Amino acid sequence: MSVFTLAQPDREAQLLPRLTELTERHRARGAAYANILAAIGHGPGRTYADTTELPWLPVRLFKTHELKSIPDDEVFKVLTSSGTTGDVSRIYLDKEAAAAQTRMLGQTLQAVLGPKRLPMLVIDTTAIIKNRRSFSARGAGVLGMITFGRDHVWALDEDSKPDLEAVRGFLAKHGDKPFLIFGFTFMVWLYLYELARDHGLDLSNGVLVHSGGWKKLVDQQVDNAEFRRAFQADTGLTRIHNFYGMVEQIGVVYLEGPDGNSLYCPDFADIVIRDPETWEPLPPGKPGLVEVISTLPESYPGHVLLTEDLGVINGIDDGAWPGKHFSILGRLPRAEARGCSDTFVGAAA
Amino acid sequence: MTSLEVRFPLSSVSSASPLSVDRLLAEVSEEPVDGRLVVGDERVRDFLVAFSRRLLKPDLARRHPELGSLGFFLRKAELARAVERLGDRPGSRRSPRGLVLHFPPANVDTIFVYSWALSALAGNHNIVRVSARSAGAAETVLEALNDVLADAHPAIAQTQRMITYDRDEATTAALIGACDLRVLWGGDASVNALRQHPVRPLTRDLAFPDRSSFATISVPGWQAATPAQRRAAADGFANDLYWFDQAACSSPRDLFWVGDAAAAQVARTEFADLLAEVVAQRGWVVDPAMAVEKYVSTYGLAATGAATRVAFAGNAVANVELSGLDDLQRHWLGAGTICHITIGSLAELAPAIQRKDQTLSQFGFTMPELDDFVTTLAGRGIDRIVPFGQALTFAGIWDGFDLLHEFTRIITIQA
Repeated sequence: MSVFTLAQPDREAQLLPRLTELTERHRARGAAYANILAAIGHGPGRTYADTTELPWLPVRLFKTHELKSIPDDEVFKVLTSSGTTGDVSRIYLDKEAAAAQTRMLGQTLQAVLGPKRLPMLVIDTTAIIKNRRSFSARGAGVLGMITFGRDHVWALDEDSKPDLEAVRGFLAKHGDKPFLIFGFTFMVWLYLYELARDHGLDLSNGVLVHSGGWKKLVDQQVDNAEFRRAFQADTGLTRIHNFYGMVEQIGVVYLEGPDGNSLYCPDFADIVIRDPETWEPLPPGKPGLVEVISTLPESYPGHVLLTEDLGVINGIDDGAWPGKHFSILGRLPRAEARGCSDTFVGAAA
Repeated sequence: MTSLEVRFPLSSVSSASPLSVDRLLAEVSEEPVDGRLVVGDERVRDFLVAFSRRLLKPDLARRHPELGSLGFFLRKAELARAVERLGDRPGSRRSPRGLVLHFPPANVDTIFVYSWALSALAGNHNIVRVSARSAGAAETVLEALNDVLADAHPAIAQTQRMITYDRDEATTAALIGACDLRVLWGGDASVNALRQHPVRPLTRDLAFPDRSSFATISVPGWQAATPAQRRAAADGFANDLYWFDQAACSSPRDLFWVGDAAAAQVARTEFADLLAEVVAQRGWVVDPAMAVEKYVSTYGLAATGAATRVAFAGNAVANVELSGLDDLQRHWLGAGTICHITIGSLAELAPAIQRKDQTLSQFGFTMPELDDFVTTLAGRGIDRIVPFGQALTFAGIWDGFDLLHEFTRIITIQA
């Protein structure tokens, strides 16, 4: 059963009452969220004519404040993400929320993986999950995906060197039927693409799921189009699905469709692109800040979040799957103060 | 040990490169041509005056308005007044301290020049560590200094150095170990880190660490003001608010409305409109990244209950209503964030003031009211009270120190 079914009008009609309900729920169960709503003039019982009217939280707030809608003794799992500046988002899940996020992620990925678990080639090293001390966002991402495959083989050895024999062994055993390849975008490009091209590996039965952004590949002038073209031309891999997601909206991935250009929203999610001057929603074709919307967050007020990513809607109900489809264009730079209380790091050396 | 890059004087007496710290210290400590520097040394005055003229040239002042203020500060008459203020008299004479080492803040482009110029005027030999990150106005200042050096007395090039070096403990330690006064600007962490290096027994510290600043409006004063005065107040406040992205030590973070609550409400509405007009007129914009910064910080204040209301007037101005004086904001919240609070009197404010609090910029108060406030403060904090528009205007008395006094020592004489 696919979760990419709802056309935009139906989607908004289904999401709006649920999101309004979530706003009330989080207001009732979290003082911090209730305080914010009161301060920005969103009183209890307010009705909204449109999902774009719902109050959003800046996503970085989860790095600076504890925002949760469950009592401490019901916290089952705290998810963290390390940001580039070292501060960490903390996302609180109860048992139910933790189960829901895995379930919904599974349903979303089924759209491209099918109902059965596939043999899985992980474009990473076991080192990143073995060493608990350096347990990173990358490690967490890999662990989160690993449940969606079976018979895992790691494409890099413990020293992060491509393990040609391991990959060859995996392909010999599973390469004639559909298999899953997962990795971070830059790892997949740096390690799998070259390895496969140079050794003539046949990836034509693979389904690649990757994420993490293109920033690290800018130097190599690789964008989504070049990535897809090169893999197809040199390895036969055509089923390539990038995805966009964040720990603050756990359980939701915006998945690249079979048309290979755009990210699509699962039925329980949506996006809005906002003009960063007026904060009004923007129509397709106009780039702005990405607001992510989802009905999954029950244990923390993350149902409507303003990200610091820039994106553009490519179309609505005119793509491979229904709803809005969009691209991520980059990240807003972090604002810097240039005041005299700025630490003179050099001198402090 | 890392090598030093000399930024001033560019035509250094030694063109040896790379320059070691020992060599630098030896060079700068040599006795200059025509004798040792004295307080108010004519050779230094001439150089500073030439530098001031260069800064006040229209091309420069247009590009960097802050350099205009600096040029004004260093005019001949201003220098004479400053030296006079030291008050040398029979039985009490001022003398230079010796070698002064300056660690200016990385991001405020020009503050190092004030600190250095006054120290030079006091007859000291100086080494200024200029940040490698320096840009814009700082580069222009260094150019201007080097430009006017050609006509200056050789003693200037001999005794004054502005240098840049990469993060290096040993170099910092060597410089600090050789100086008679170290001037430390910057965040608390960097000031404390620099303090870890031992100094010679007689060496003194002059530290300018993190500070916080506020603004206040007298509601009766506002009511009594003419429309033109009110507009000027909004204009001055806008300058104070946006200069250095509101991140300077003297940038106001909170705005106290002092007077009757209902009347304050009326005044606040009018002030908000005027401020919006001023900001629009000047075409000031706050970029999206800064706007997001402000959403994060102000929503954060709301989350904890420190703020009861958060309202954005476009991206440029975020108006925050604070819950009370216990929630005064002393940290940077993003450029153009005003935390308002209405109180009955300045006396109510006094207990909330801390030693860290530096500047109170004010509108509409009388001298006796402000004087009474200082009495009520009883030393808790606040180093300067200035009218709106002058929060960031540097003065020879800063952070409670008379800099020329600090840059000299007193010799008492009894026959």
